[in-house]
Amino acid sequence: MKLRLAAVLFSATLLAGTASAADKRWDGADDLPVNPLACSAGEASAAPAAKPYDGGQPTNAPDKAGKPISLVDVPKLIGIGYFNATTKGMQDAAKTLGNVTAKTDGPTEAKIDEQIKFIDNTITSGVDGILFAANDPVAIAPVLKKALSKGIHVVGYDANATPDAREWFINQAEFNGIAKAMIDSMAKEAGEDKSFAIVTSTFTTPNQARWIAEMSAYAQKCHPKLKWLETVEAQEDNNLSFNQATTLINKYGDKLSGLFGMTSVATPASAEAVTKAKLCGKVAVVGLATPNAMKPYVNADCVKSVVLWNPVDLGYAATYVMRAVVDGKLKPGATSVEAGKLGKLNVVNGSEILLGSPFIFTKQNIKDFDF
Amino acid sequence: MIAATLTRTEADPRRLLKALASQEVLLAIAVVGLAIAVGFYNPRFLATRNLSDVLLGNAYIAVAAVGMSMVIISGNIDISVGSLIGVLATLSGTLAVDGAPIIITWLVPLVVGVLVMAAQGAVIAYLRIPAIVVTLGMLSILKGGLISATGGKWITDLPDGFHLADIELFGTVPMPVLLMIVATILAALWMRHSASGRTIYAVGGNAEAARLCGISQPRTTVMVFALHGFFAGVAALLYATQLRVIQSTVPPNLELTIITASVVGGVSILGGVGTVIGSSLAAILIAEIASALVFTDVSPYWIRAVQGSLILITVIADILRRRRMAGA
Amino acid sequence: MSEIPLPQTVKRVAPWWLLRHETMLAAILFVALVILGVLNNRFLTLDNLLNQGRLTTEVGLIALPMTFIIITGGIDLSVGSIVGLCAIMLGYSWKIFGFPLPLAICFSLVVGAAAGFLNGLVITKVKVPPLIMTIATLALYRGLAEGISQAHSVRGYPEWFYFVGQSDLFGVPAQLWLLLIAIVVAGIALDRTTFGRTLYAIGNNETAARFSGLPVDRVKLIIYTLSGLMAGLSAFVLVSRVTTTRSDMGSGYELDVIAAVVLGGTSIFGGLGTIWGTIVGLAMIQLLKNGLALTGVKGDATIVVIGAVLILSTLVAGSLQRRRDGV
Repeated sequence: MKLRLAAVLFSATLLAGTASAADKRWDGADDLPVNPLACSAGEASAAPAAKPYDGGQPTNAPDKAGKPISLVDVPKLIGIGYFNATTKGMQDAAKTLGNVTAKTDGPTEAKIDEQIKFIDNTITSGVDGILFAANDPVAIAPVLKKALSKGIHVVGYDANATPDAREWFINQAEFNGIAKAMIDSMAKEAGEDKSFAIVTSTFTTPNQARWIAEMSAYAQKCHPKLKWLETVEAQEDNNLSFNQATTLINKYGDKLSGLFGMTSVATPASAEAVTKAKLCGKVAVVGLATPNAMKPYVNADCVKSVVLWNPVDLGYAATYVMRAVVDGKLKPGATSVEAGKLGKLNVVNGSEILLGSPFIFTKQNIKDFDF
Repeated sequence: MIAATLTRTEADPRRLLKALASQEVLLAIAVVGLAIAVGFYNPRFLATRNLSDVLLGNAYIAVAAVGMSMVIISGNIDISVGSLIGVLATLSGTLAVDGAPIIITWLVPLVVGVLVMAAQGAVIAYLRIPAIVVTLGMLSILKGGLISATGGKWITDLPDGFHLADIELFGTVPMPVLLMIVATILAALWMRHSASGRTIYAVGGNAEAARLCGISQPRTTVMVFALHGFFAGVAALLYATQLRVIQSTVPPNLELTIITASVVGGVSILGGVGTVIGSSLAAILIAEIASALVFTDVSPYWIRAVQGSLILITVIADILRRRRMAGA
Repeated sequence: MSEIPLPQTVKRVAPWWLLRHETMLAAILFVALVILGVLNNRFLTLDNLLNQGRLTTEVGLIALPMTFIIITGGIDLSVGSIVGLCAIMLGYSWKIFGFPLPLAICFSLVVGAAAGFLNGLVITKVKVPPLIMTIATLALYRGLAEGISQAHSVRGYPEWFYFVGQSDLFGVPAQLWLLLIAIVVAGIALDRTTFGRTLYAIGNNETAARFSGLPVDRVKLIIYTLSGLMAGLSAFVLVSRVTTTRSDMGSGYELDVIAAVVLGGTSIFGGLGTIWGTIVGLAMIQLLKNGLALTGVKGDATIVVIGAVLILSTLVAGSLQRRRDGV
């Protein structure tokens, strides 16, 4: 009797599973509108209508123009190369600026609840500014607003919060820009009418979800014959990503011509899976990753291009923006900001500061980078 | 009538043996059955390449489950093993990158694993702190310690000879699979047929009775944990040498997966029952299910739910089977 | 005629109540607070302490029934997943089923209770050991949360919904009142009712309890259902605090809860434990994390300290307890 109950439970879950398999979404889990770029080669001009400033503002922030300030950076998690790189950028900027001290401290796993507690402690300990990369844009908003209400400056980078919870957000590259770079690379390497699969971290990671949503829209618009097979989750774990990529290769065999890696963990793992399966050159691997992790594969011609931006520059820019905000040099309504060695960065979308276009690492230039 | 009683008591040990063995048989049937079922849906599942990939990618879990099963059979539990594997893998990789001889990079995790686990076992046995407390505390200490020590930097540039997992003995049998099979069989034989192996069952089944037989529970506990540390070290080696980079963080929820493998394999949390063969088969089954779910196009959102209900069913079935055997 | 020697009375080192685990722990906590307060002047402010109370509520609510469960010698590892499931069901039933929000909240509590009830049912009727059952449901309930939510979050609640999670009532965070009431009720139930006495009896010797006519199965069913219900309540507080739902909410809670309960002197073997101890354990962990962070200790070092504190406190309190008992 109980076994029958168990069997019913199992089949119900399995049915739910297979029924939902008909779900044709690639996996842009949020329901925000997508905005695919133009199909022509080269940079799409980012000339949307200027949006009014929509960021939040601190209440009664002490005037520290020109004075030394202390910042705390709370990334999504610590212990991965990507955020090690952003931290390095922040330290570089702090050294150049001379009157900034920055400390990075964050959760050991990408959990929003932990991140909120870290930010909360930072607020209590009384800093001048908080830099963050959010695990969830909405969940992080209340604690950031609390920081603003206590006169602490809040600037985000890499992963945004709702606009009214921070003053500015350094956007490494537009979501649709990254999507275009990824899909164009895949179409070029694998072929216009080939099939690919995606390896991501989780479906609930906001950045990844947005990128995939934009990739889907762009592919439908500009490369309609490119066929999406499926998306698998692999957390931020190297071995799991490897196993998932291997499973995909085994499942589709010849039908699979490309793999997308959506995180700096998934891409090297996918490249490793392709290498182990001796399919270099037959299965294209395109993804976001840090150059050091990809050097062996790029140098072996297994991976032709790695899409990213420079996270060191990202951290650097975030620090400079924070300094400019404290000094009163960057006010709501500004259209650009000076960011040290990066020159002038533009303000887009009201309160976002664009780092630039996605950077493509290839065999020719990858040796120049060390992060 | 006496003859009937005699035959009944003679039949009992055989039936009991069959009861103990049948979870393993059930698992073996499940492993093969699942493969065939999925093979109907997508024949590529049965390709040698795929089956060997499933084994290769997850052999380390089976090896770790051997040690974990011993711990559970002895009446204890350990939730720090996932963190320990992360630490040992990083240790091995760091030594390799720093130029230590390859054989040292392979041996050090084993030694350190034994020492750390034996220390935990000693604290549990002699200082009489419950295993869950010690291992819960150790979990945090190892996890935080690893990040503090490495700053979360990945280990790249591993020397070529380092990759133990890539070695194929006699040109065909990959190291991970070989180690998994050897570890399981040796451990199973030792636990079944050697006196010291059997003390584990004795202590786990009824510690007081064991003590009256002269078996020292503290000593057995330390021994079991030391062995567990050894297998954790081997698992860490397989984990570290599989890919070209080592991620210096602990794999999330690894300890839970290992415990699940032991439990699904028929190891009873009450102690004294179960075999390592069961846990290795269960580890293989769990890995196979993960792959099968992708092959059968189950919606990725429902994968965890299906896995959970499969574990639940297996566990319920196991308990019901045991009760029927005991009652009948 | 030889005198039968009288047994030696054990020399008491100190009055019995002083050496109780909970008191020792409270003393350690007091010392830690003083040290941290000296090291950092923002730590011992009312503002900070109340804020920490706010942040501890979610784990605290679950720690209360967990104390009951561990006293009976059981355990419930699925609480974190139930929190995630209830959070998702709260949003889902509001948005997709179209329930009015108060009904959706009640519905998510019912889901939590049902999840706990299933745990209790299988544990008592099929006799699956609690550890194993809740490991399985840990995966199952989390999977249900992921499957039902399909990675969507539900946001945009009306203002009143955020009151419990973010506002103050008479100067004290609203959810803290909830926790305080729950603590009082749980404390009274454990200490003064037959229900509480039954828990200890089950933990000390379940067979004897059964033969004494105590409703062992019914009590177990109640505590596991309660555990699920409190997880649902905790989910409500969490969603109210962070204004959104995610399927990974509550992950890792089970270990935090168990650490607090065990630190507080509840024996994992059953038969021993108090609500007061759990509260001290909770406070210890939360305030240590907070105090260390304010002093500038980084996150990874903090969890090392917590782990060490867990082991050492249990060691100290355990050995003093044994000395007191003359063992």
